[in-house]
Amino acid sequence: MSNSSVNNMSQTAQPSADGNNQVDAYRRRFMGAITGTVAAAAAITLVPGVFLREVHAADVTPRPEDQPADAKIRWGMLIDTRRLTDGGESMVEACKKEHGWGNDPKARPDQQAQWIRTVKVTDKLTKNSFTLPVMCQHCETAPCVDVCPTGASMKRADGIVQVNKHTCIGCRYCMMACPYKARSFVHEPLTDQLPHSPRGMGTVESCNMCVHRVDKGQIPACAEAAPQAVIFGDLNDPESRISRAMKALGGEQIRGDLGLNTGVRYLNI
Amino acid sequence: MSSKIITYSEVGAGKGFYTLLAIFAAICAVGFFAFLYLEHEGHYVTGMNNQIVWGLPHVFAIFLIVAASGALNIGSIGTVFRKKIYQPLGRLSALLAISLLVGGLVVLVLDLGHADRLIIAMTHYNFKSIFAWNIILYNGFLGLVGFYIWTMMDRKLKEAYPYAGFMAFTWRLLLTMGTGSIFGFLVARQFYDAAIMAPLFIAMSFSLGLAVFILVLFASYKWTGRELGDLIINRLRYLLAIFIAAVLFFELMRHLSNLYATEHHGVEWFILRDGGVYTQLFWIVQIFLGSLVPLSLIFCRFLAGNRLSLVIAAGLVILGGFAQLYVILIGGQAFPLVLFPGADVESSYFDGVTNSYSPSIWEIMLGLGGVGLAFLMVTIGVKVLRFLPESLSDGIVDKAR
Amino acid sequence: MMFSKIKSMLLLPLMLPMLLVAFLAGCDASPPEINLATAKEKAEQCVEPTEDMRRNHMVYLNEHRDETVIAGIRTKKHSLNECINCHVSATKADGEALHYPDQEHFCASCHTYAGVKIDCFQCHADRPQVLDNSDYKHKLSANSYHEMSAKKQPLNMADMLLVTGDKGAVQ
Repeated sequence: MSNSSVNNMSQTAQPSADGNNQVDAYRRRFMGAITGTVAAAAAITLVPGVFLREVHAADVTPRPEDQPADAKIRWGMLIDTRRLTDGGESMVEACKKEHGWGNDPKARPDQQAQWIRTVKVTDKLTKNSFTLPVMCQHCETAPCVDVCPTGASMKRADGIVQVNKHTCIGCRYCMMACPYKARSFVHEPLTDQLPHSPRGMGTVESCNMCVHRVDKGQIPACAEAAPQAVIFGDLNDPESRISRAMKALGGEQIRGDLGLNTGVRYLNI
Repeated sequence: MSSKIITYSEVGAGKGFYTLLAIFAAICAVGFFAFLYLEHEGHYVTGMNNQIVWGLPHVFAIFLIVAASGALNIGSIGTVFRKKIYQPLGRLSALLAISLLVGGLVVLVLDLGHADRLIIAMTHYNFKSIFAWNIILYNGFLGLVGFYIWTMMDRKLKEAYPYAGFMAFTWRLLLTMGTGSIFGFLVARQFYDAAIMAPLFIAMSFSLGLAVFILVLFASYKWTGRELGDLIINRLRYLLAIFIAAVLFFELMRHLSNLYATEHHGVEWFILRDGGVYTQLFWIVQIFLGSLVPLSLIFCRFLAGNRLSLVIAAGLVILGGFAQLYVILIGGQAFPLVLFPGADVESSYFDGVTNSYSPSIWEIMLGLGGVGLAFLMVTIGVKVLRFLPESLSDGIVDKAR
Repeated sequence: MMFSKIKSMLLLPLMLPMLLVAFLAGCDASPPEINLATAKEKAEQCVEPTEDMRRNHMVYLNEHRDETVIAGIRTKKHSLNECINCHVSATKADGEALHYPDQEHFCASCHTYAGVKIDCFQCHADRPQVLDNSDYKHKLSANSYHEMSAKKQPLNMADMLLVTGDKGAVQ
């Protein structure tokens, strides 16, 4: 766990610790963070399961199409595993649909691309278990970006880590370097790709936080598929929903010990 | 200077030469065919997948690259450390170094997802990537060793010879460190993330390079009917023993330091005890056949001066080194990534399970193609230029000393 | 990409004499049918003057792809997707899906003739996916669109030379 999330956790009352009261209190706070106003939080806890989709409009503001990605922004995602009733399966399905991976005709199962997957984690001693979606964690200091010989594995100004397939030579060193197994290699010629998500033989690919949607002012497809559990937004803006939620509740990294400062954070892992 | 006594000459163009040429060219062609097939079909026809991303071609490539830098050692001992007895071998050692490196690089490049974009690898550099540095190191190595050969062959450049030898030697140390660091710099992988990978690879290059050199020396002298004396052979024999011991030492250090850290117990028990084929390759092929048996062959009193025993020892060292690289590369990837320390993980993406890998015929063909290319280059080299001393009999070698 | 450009540069000296021979032979020297028949209705004018596009479309595309992928600039003017949407028909005459390897594909029809090899469509969609919008108009700027006309303009020999006969075209 990094220093920053230690601080966050110590400022709050250890939300996920124990006891139903604390869980409820935590839930109210998460809802508050999700809706952005205390009043809305109260309204929503009265009617569970009803959410105002409009609130997402504020998470990503549309950028004029002739403007480059803003270096002041760092896009990130906070995923509450307890609010994912399906462990994140809907997020995986949304990603498949958005980017068209997962059914390459010739590849063996171990050669299929997986931009996002659900991982079931069971503690060896306590047998406590939870499921979470794992995809590219959009590290601040990404090992895949460091090792790429041509600079094809790159981090955009706004923190999104992606593969520039125009310069990818298919050496797969980034796949060796990624601690999250977030990358896939396309093992066969493809046709009928989706226009907004090019993918093809001999290049490496991974979650790009739906860069084509974010640039249009939309949130990533997976975040849209699980609005009750996922907040997408600008980690650099202290007033954004995600920043306020993380300040109140924390946001853990997978393999935080590696010090990569990931852009995808989790609650209750 | 040795060149006054030693005369070098090209090998003759007999039937044997053309047979050899044809065999190596055929192996090359097989490798090239495999490349065309992979390039057209994609990597789904290989045993590699999204878990084992580097497979048999990379084992072949790294073996050849590591052996290449080691093969240059014979020349370096003569030039840099002024051991004159090694100087007559300098030309062949440099030729072998260049050939093995080219063979290895070709395999590495032809396995790329986009081998056609080699020009991008040469024009877009990410200087934080050890891989990008390696591209520079490989190209520099070829240039420097080429110049080194030139200084050995052209009397006009005799004064540059020690400097060229020193530069080539320094460069080759950097190159092997770079190759080792490809693995040493991978924080994500339990089996790799260690600085000791760099010196381990240097030690490996010493022993593998020498073993290949011994075999090439024996073959070329036997097949051309030139004399090879015991004096030089015994030098190489004990040198090989020292290098085998050095590799064992670094391997021992690596596993001991891993075993001390609880974090690495999982991967260590996997390689040393539970890893199936990787465990067998490690203990039986790498340690027993590839290290202990050759050491016994070299030091066995009854086999002193026995040439066949040295040839077998060198062959076993090569076999053991190949197994060692296979265990490091494939075994290291077969062990699952640790996403959550202290927890079991399962997913549709093979998290938490031992990844399986069985190489396809195409990968074997591609890898062998690189070996074929390397030896094709050596065969042509000794034919067109004066790489081989006409005689390395004890009398001549002793005078050259 | 650069590789293919270099290859096409190497091809140029070979192709020029061949074209000349074709001229000298006189009879039946018309260029092969450049099949734009199944392409969508061609606009009066492309995003740049037609001659400029024939020479330099690859330059525009390369610049635009780097701006888009690396910087995130998503203007439509030089976007490959928009080229495809406007120029390429989704289906062949017989109703089957049209792909780049087919000779009727707008890009392939000329690239085959000019001996250009590209790898764009290894990853990118090679057919328009605006099937639900047959009146699709290419947006040129905030308030101007392509004027679609029903007039077909088959390429003639002079056009072909513009593409293949000038070194400046393929650099």
